[in-house]
Amino acid sequence: MKNITKSLWLLISTVVVGSLIYPLVLWLIGQTVFPFTANGSIVNDQGKAVGSLLIAQPFTKDEYFWPRPSAASYDASAGTSSALAASNYALRDRVARMLGPIVKYSSGPKAGQLVAPDIEAWFQQDRYQGNPHIVAQWADNHNELAQGWVSADPTHAAYITDWQKSHKSTIADWIRQNPGTPQPQPSDLAVLFFETFSKENPGKFPSAITSTTPDGKSQTAIQPVASGSDIQSVFFDMWRQDHPDVALADVPGDMVTTSGSGLDPNITVENAEYQLDRVASKWAADTKRDPRQVHEEVEQMVQDNSAAPLGGLFGEKLVNVMQINLALKSRYGQPQ
Amino acid sequence: MWLFPISVIAVPALLAIPLSRYLAWVMDGHYRPTKLLKWFEDHVNSGPMNWKQYIVALLVFNTVLYFFGYLVLVLQPWAPLNPRGLGAIAPTTIFNTVISFMTNTDIQHYSGDVVFSNFSQIFFCIPMFFLSAAIGFCALTAIIRSFRSDPNVGNFFLDMWRVVFYTFLPIAFVLSLFFLASGMPMTYQSANQVNTLEPAALGTDNNNQAKQQTIVMGPLAAFVPMKMLGTNGGGFFGMNSAHPFENPNATTNFLETASMMLFPMALVLMFGRMLGRLRHSIVIFLVMLVLLVGTVGWVIYYDTLKPNPGLTSHPIARTFEIASATAPGGKRTIALPPIAGLPVDQHLGNLEGKELRFGTSAGATFAAATVDFTCGAIICEHDSLNPVAALSPFFGMWVNCIFGGKGVGMINMLLFLVIGIFVVGQMVGRTPEYLGKKIGAREVKLALIALLIHPLVILGPTGLFAAKGWGMKAESNPGPHGFSQIVYQFSSDSANNGSAFDGLGVSYGLNSNSNPAPEAVPWDIAAGFVIMFGRFIPIIAPIAMAAFLGMKKSTPFGLGTLRDDTMTFGCMLLGTVVIVGALLFLPVAALGPMAEHLGPIPFGG
Repeated sequence: MKNITKSLWLLISTVVVGSLIYPLVLWLIGQTVFPFTANGSIVNDQGKAVGSLLIAQPFTKDEYFWPRPSAASYDASAGTSSALAASNYALRDRVARMLGPIVKYSSGPKAGQLVAPDIEAWFQQDRYQGNPHIVAQWADNHNELAQGWVSADPTHAAYITDWQKSHKSTIADWIRQNPGTPQPQPSDLAVLFFETFSKENPGKFPSAITSTTPDGKSQTAIQPVASGSDIQSVFFDMWRQDHPDVALADVPGDMVTTSGSGLDPNITVENAEYQLDRVASKWAADTKRDPRQVHEEVEQMVQDNSAAPLGGLFGEKLVNVMQINLALKSRYGQPQ
Repeated sequence: MWLFPISVIAVPALLAIPLSRYLAWVMDGHYRPTKLLKWFEDHVNSGPMNWKQYIVALLVFNTVLYFFGYLVLVLQPWAPLNPRGLGAIAPTTIFNTVISFMTNTDIQHYSGDVVFSNFSQIFFCIPMFFLSAAIGFCALTAIIRSFRSDPNVGNFFLDMWRVVFYTFLPIAFVLSLFFLASGMPMTYQSANQVNTLEPAALGTDNNNQAKQQTIVMGPLAAFVPMKMLGTNGGGFFGMNSAHPFENPNATTNFLETASMMLFPMALVLMFGRMLGRLRHSIVIFLVMLVLLVGTVGWVIYYDTLKPNPGLTSHPIARTFEIASATAPGGKRTIALPPIAGLPVDQHLGNLEGKELRFGTSAGATFAAATVDFTCGAIICEHDSLNPVAALSPFFGMWVNCIFGGKGVGMINMLLFLVIGIFVVGQMVGRTPEYLGKKIGAREVKLALIALLIHPLVILGPTGLFAAKGWGMKAESNPGPHGFSQIVYQFSSDSANNGSAFDGLGVSYGLNSNSNPAPEAVPWDIAAGFVIMFGRFIPIIAPIAMAAFLGMKKSTPFGLGTLRDDTMTFGCMLLGTVVIVGALLFLPVAALGPMAEHLGPIPFGG
């Protein structure tokens, strides 16, 4: 009994001091001496709060620098990491998809050019490792990616449901071989779908195409395509396996890896310089100024806005994405 | 590159020298309290205790703490400081979380930013940070007093009071000011809604309105210091100290890393000072330091200086033979073609799951240190560490005595020490003695119980969960890494660490969560019990062991006495830790991280 009263004495005094007084004193100091950082380093643009210097925000326009990819989709109320192991193919696949559309040759006659057109040309040949039908091999080797495609979008599943109606005998065969699933769902049939699709549409992949109907409305539908961003990204890793000796320019590591929190506000200077051409040429076009001069200005801004952890003692120079994009916007105005 | 790990270990090691003197002075009661403090002390002090009464008081206090914690978390929907209107937390999540926090484990089967209101963070987490850390500290103090053959082992409540109010609170407050000045948020606001700089960059909602970014924040500068100083490690946010508000820059990261090392280092020296055998404790300190440098160096070498092997080329074709009942000859051969690398510049090492702002080797250093000091905070995703680099955190949890948490790391080292002396004594045919007291069968039995409970509650549940669907359905990575995730979770539970391979699906969260992890409930319950066994048996048995040892007559120092303050003794201790502690776990290491490292990468499709 004595133990319980003494326990309560100890507990209550700790709660009063630790949970009431201690935070309150700190709050007073923080709000009076360091009001900006104590409230989360929120920055304003034209008087309105637009984000925090410490929290990554997505940018998609070419005029802006882009942050690292985020496993949390930049949700600052639920930060998370990818938690992908090095041995998990999903990691390699995610990185390869980011690389496909941006990777360039580093030597040879095509040095400096994008590999993306060559990926499309190789894809249209429809041969991988000497065997026909790239898409079928892709689905065979990576069942989870094929199933992932089906669940990625409701229109994908609907496309398979339509396909089921025109392939009744193929489905019936599949059900005979898999008696455990008499009522297969679209994701169960993903691999089978891609195998038959690949044979019926050699050199093509189902992709969303937006077209304009005669009455002026835009409309999105899944169609077999032979080129485009899906092919450049999804099949880059397979293209690479068929072309292992081609020299490619390295992409900065932080550009294709997700951070621990999913909200890393910084990129490396190498990453910023990798994006520099895109950013500068777009601002030059927006402001109708000499591209070379704008390029120099933006490069200078990258240097001015970069800093290394603890004055350079602990690492390489970084750029805060929010800070440099605010600087760009205040200098060149609204992007178009 | 190497400056960060060297300085972040050296600074707390140097500060531990004066701090240990202060701690010994406080715990021996040489200070004079002011009138007000004396009044409080008289109210918590229930008089001198023997070791059994001390254990009872410790357990009663933990029971009170359990009910208090449960009450606070249950009250969340009705409590103030909850502008986001977060609802009731799932019962098994509360069960797991309360046990986890009151035992200094702080493994989190929930995301703080998603599930906890500021009320829960302030009134549940902060008191737990102070008190759970103090409990291990007090247990060590009781053991020291037994070794000294004091007439009593002191008073548990008075010890707790001294630890919390005279040591933790002032240091935490100073640290808070440093954090405030370095840019850490300190607000009672819960979230801030902003329109993104690029309109609709987060997409649009159903009404075609641009989505806003919801930025969750809170009283971080009050939360983080004790989280690190007490080697608690429970994060305000799900991603813990990797989150930019919980660790805004390289300065705060240096302070966080150093502050988690400060008390465990000082406690080793305090042990020597209170016993009057400083040289002996310096030998123990150096043994721990060697292990710390080894584990930190290992992760830096394999994770910061090496690229992520999932993205690099593997130019040599390999074949694996797999036992198979259906294949002819009982074996199936799997051929792996050479794999071409992706064009990624990885000169900064494996960046998957790393934050940039802390500096190049900070993530790797922290990953090893957080485990050695049983803190369990993280600044990078351990799941995404290079496979062989992850061996280091595993090793740290398995031996669980590389400085360790508040007091308990030192207690674990004492167990290794007693067993080491006993084994050596057997080998040379001499009566084993420690501090002039003969080590008998009873003491060794108690030490072994405390040591063996650790592998038992790790390997047993791991086997069970790997065999049942509970483990398989929770894994988020294929092959050996999935197994590693299960092993890591239970190791972290039993070692009272709190870090995790975060991909493992163990989270239920709010009661209203429509999509909880499918096996969250069995994980919550099993982990709760593993934590309790892993916490209380290795505290109670050593207190008993020390008490029995202390009751014995001291034999005078003679020619035949094993000297405990020499290099030879240090090497013996190191050998005991590595052989006894780590060999027990070699098979699971081979099945998990080592198999992943040597096997095919990427594994499967």
